[in-house]
Amino acid sequence: MIVNVPNPVIEVHDLTVIYNRKPALWDADFTIPKGKLVGIVGPNGAGKSTLIKAIMGLVPLSSGHAELFGKPLDEVRQKVSYVPQRESVDWDFPASALDVVLMGRYRHTGLFRRISKKDRNIAFECLKKVRMEAFANRQIAQLSGGQQQRVFLARALAQQADIYLMDEPFAGIDATTESAIVDLLFEMRSEGKTIMVVHHDLESAYEYFDWFVLLNTRLVACGPKEEVFTQDLLVETYGGKMNVLAKIGELIRENTFPVREDNSPLR
Amino acid sequence: MENLIEFLSLSDPNVRYVVLGMVLLGICSGVVGSFTFLRKRALLGDAIAHSVLPGVCLAFMIGGTKNPLFLLVGATITGWLSLIVIDFISNRSRIKPDAAIGLVLSVFFGVGILLLTSIQGSGNAAQSGLDKFLFGKAASLIGSDVWVFGILCAVMTLVVILFFKEFKLLSFDPDFAHSIGLPIRLLEIVLATITVLTVAVGIQAVGVVLMSAMLITPAAAARYWTDKLFKMVILAAIFGAISGILGAYVSYTETAMPTGPWVIVVLSLIAFFSMLVAPKRGVWAQYVIQKRNQNKIHQENVLKLFYHIAEKGDQQFRAARSLDELLSRREFPTSILKRTLTALTKKELLDKVGNNQWKLTDEGEERGKRVVRLHRLWEVYLTKYLRIAPDHVHDDAEAMEHVITPELEAELDKLLDYPATDPHDSKIPR
Repeated sequence: MIVNVPNPVIEVHDLTVIYNRKPALWDADFTIPKGKLVGIVGPNGAGKSTLIKAIMGLVPLSSGHAELFGKPLDEVRQKVSYVPQRESVDWDFPASALDVVLMGRYRHTGLFRRISKKDRNIAFECLKKVRMEAFANRQIAQLSGGQQQRVFLARALAQQADIYLMDEPFAGIDATTESAIVDLLFEMRSEGKTIMVVHHDLESAYEYFDWFVLLNTRLVACGPKEEVFTQDLLVETYGGKMNVLAKIGELIRENTFPVREDNSPLR
Repeated sequence: MENLIEFLSLSDPNVRYVVLGMVLLGICSGVVGSFTFLRKRALLGDAIAHSVLPGVCLAFMIGGTKNPLFLLVGATITGWLSLIVIDFISNRSRIKPDAAIGLVLSVFFGVGILLLTSIQGSGNAAQSGLDKFLFGKAASLIGSDVWVFGILCAVMTLVVILFFKEFKLLSFDPDFAHSIGLPIRLLEIVLATITVLTVAVGIQAVGVVLMSAMLITPAAAARYWTDKLFKMVILAAIFGAISGILGAYVSYTETAMPTGPWVIVVLSLIAFFSMLVAPKRGVWAQYVIQKRNQNKIHQENVLKLFYHIAEKGDQQFRAARSLDELLSRREFPTSILKRTLTALTKKELLDKVGNNQWKLTDEGEERGKRVVRLHRLWEVYLTKYLRIAPDHVHDDAEAMEHVITPELEAELDKLLDYPATDPHDSKIPR
């Protein structure tokens, strides 16, 4: 089930990534429309992170390519922001929260240039948006996991991009941060930004996102949540070996959305 | 003393060259090494240092001269080559990076030693002194060396200043650096090149074996003192320079003492000292914090004890209690209890009355009551919100009663709707 859209902002063509002769992502081919909050969902090792890394050109592609706004990444980098996994960096680095957010302005500042007052103001505003302004000068190791994640989001906001690719922003954070991030994502969507988020909690996924990419090394489905977030497709994505499935059945029933278009009743 | 003045006046040109050379090298390795350290490439620095030896030997064999610039070129080439080989092995084979570094280090160094031995056996008169590259011989630095040091050092420092924020991002989050379109391949090559150059410059003074210490130690020491990258780099440079001067001074006063190893000794002392006494991160600072917390816990426990004795017994909260009475109600090492009582008396939370008797003051009673209140509030919280059985909550509350802040206390009280008793039906004192 792959729903293609006209005038997509993200277009992925036959993308294949191979690590050590093992395919991590296999022939992914889909399109994403503008202004959607997209959840990338699938079991561990399904290639979710690999997919956004491949779109950002961070891993070598074995075949295929990705286009953003109909152009190759290099031509539109300023409009694209990437949020790596929080664990991918060493937080015991000598930097403050504001320092990290300022990194989102480096591209605008340019090589050899010093950071301007304007960049500083933008960075501080972004910290405010994630409610972290009180921690601007705090050494990043002294922040909690959720606060570190918010600093990463503030850095992404500082890039003032139109497409955001986020790798597990909800992993290992507190409830306050989770709701703060969700509010922020909704606000960004209402401003017309397109956001792709790697996510692994199926229960909250249905609530947060309005478009889904279901992945299990190969692309299982891609489309609006009403059409794609179905029991059949989720079973296919998780290969049937998932206890959560029972819960999802309930979830689908509770939310009373059609599992199939012909409205065949659920057992 | 005379020695020191003579040394500091730098009137002797030899001293001047050695000191200047070591200071420049110290600054340079401090600045460049900061990034090696932060990128967790300390072992790579060691591999480069060992890998420049065959380059020096080959350059000498080909050129037949000990011209520093010429040897530097040779050193840089093999230093770089080692990086490429390490990269190649770890990317293209099943061998992991640490093993690749170990392999390259020993193979390159082995070849270097082989070449050095064959040069020494060749009877070439010009070769004498080439073995100084093994352990370094700063005393042999001459004017032209210092010029080379000076120019390279200036160039490299300039490069770091120019690329400062890019190097910072590359060290912290290379994926993000890549994603915003920084030329990370180029930046990595520049950073690797200045690292190799620093090592190549340094080996003449401190030798291949000690060079990696020169690169890593100033940065490691500086990290203890600051959480700002810029300050850390400056500090590393200062530590490098100081150890350069002191190392040179030691070998000046004791001519039998080699400069390079002494520079490293001084650096190690600085690092050790930093580790011990640095504010916040240092061992001593950590110890003081722990000790302070420990004392706070003891003091609060004693105040609580006064409260408990009265509550469970005569209801006389301000009655005087003897040491034995206190000890009979709660296990305390006697020495600690005595020390704590003295401290509490000094803080005017207790009054000493008569011989070995103490009673609570107004504030002392208030504080003891608060600790009891926090303990019981926390027990209520645990049983009510975390559904922990009442007989399992005591130990946790025993620890939390010392941690909860007044703000948290107010919040907790409100959340629990100002309970009157704890899960064991003891009254929560207000």
